[in-house]
Amino acid sequence: MSGDLFEQTYERAKAVVGQVHQLPLGRMSKKEFQRFAYACGDVSPRYVDDDAARAEGFPEAVAPPLFLSGVMGWEPGPAEEDLRPDGTGKSETVGLPLEGLRLMGAGQDIELHHDVVDGMDIVAHISLDGVDLKQGRSGTLLLVRVLRRYVDGEGREVLTCRESFIAR
Amino acid sequence: MATQTTPPRFADITVGQAIPALVKRPTGLQLFRYSAVTWNAHLIHYDDAYARSEGYPAVLVQSHLHGAFLIQAALDWAGPGARLRRFRWENRHLAVPGDVLTCDGRVTATRTEDGFGVVECELFEHNQDGKLCAPGWAVIGFPLTQGESA
Repeated sequence: MSGDLFEQTYERAKAVVGQVHQLPLGRMSKKEFQRFAYACGDVSPRYVDDDAARAEGFPEAVAPPLFLSGVMGWEPGPAEEDLRPDGTGKSETVGLPLEGLRLMGAGQDIELHHDVVDGMDIVAHISLDGVDLKQGRSGTLLLVRVLRRYVDGEGREVLTCRESFIAR
Repeated sequence: MATQTTPPRFADITVGQAIPALVKRPTGLQLFRYSAVTWNAHLIHYDDAYARSEGYPAVLVQSHLHGAFLIQAALDWAGPGARLRRFRWENRHLAVPGDVLTCDGRVTATRTEDGFGVVECELFEHNQDGKLCAPGWAVIGFPLTQGESA
C-alpha cells in the first residue's frame, strides 16, 4: 500500500473512533465451541462434558475463553470469489473502514464476565478504540485498537475484548 | 500436558510460585483445523507455498492459538473450579509447525475478593530456541475452601 493510501485510511479510521457497530453472532452452538476446543488441543472437561462442567460449578459445558474473540467470521460467507488472493475476506475489517489493508492480530486483552453456553444469542458491539500511524522496520503500518463487547440476549455483557491489529 | 496433577489450594499459592510448563507442538493439521473452526481462510496458516512466498519459513501458528496455549497452561495448573477472569497476551515472534512451544509462568500477586481467592500470574510462551513468542498475563479466581479467609 502506498503512503498516500495509508494516510487516507488513517484519516478515515480516526473519524470513526468510538462509533459502535453491532454484529449479530447468532445462537451459540455447543458443537462449534467444542470443535474450537479440540482444534486448540485443549479438551478440558469443562468444555466438552456437561456433567464434569457441572461438577466444577458451571451450568453445563462452557465455551473456551477465546472462542468468542477467536472466531474470525460468524456469517455463512463470504463466497470464494469475494476472497482476496491471500484468502482473507475483502470485508474482514472487523466492521471498520480499513478496506485494502491486511490485519495481523497482535494480541488481545479479554475480561470474562459470564459463562458462554449452548443456545446463548450473542451480539458483538464493535468500535475502533484508537489508531496510530507508525513507521515499522518494514515500512509504514497502522496500529489499530478495536473494542468488542459481546452482549447476550438478556443485555448482559459476557465478554469484553480489546484487540490490537497491525494493518499493512 | 502439564506435569502437575494435583491442583493447588488458594491458601497454598504464593507469589513467585511457578506455573508448570505445558509443551505444545503445533502441527500443520492443527493449524488447518483451527483455521476451519474459526472461519479463517487466510492462506498463510495452511498453504506452505503461499507462506514461503511471503517470506515466512512455513505456515504460521495463528495469533489466537498462541493465546489459547497460554490459557491452557494457566488453567491446567489452576485446576477444576478455577475461573479465568481476565487474560491478555501479545504476539512477539512467529511460530510454525514443528516448533516446540513451552508455556509456563509464575504467580505475581494473590488476594481475596468477593469470597474468592484471586491470583495474578505472568505467562510466557517460548520456542525451542528460547525466543519469546508470546508473553501473557492472567487473573484467575479460585474457590475458597473451608478454613480459607474470604
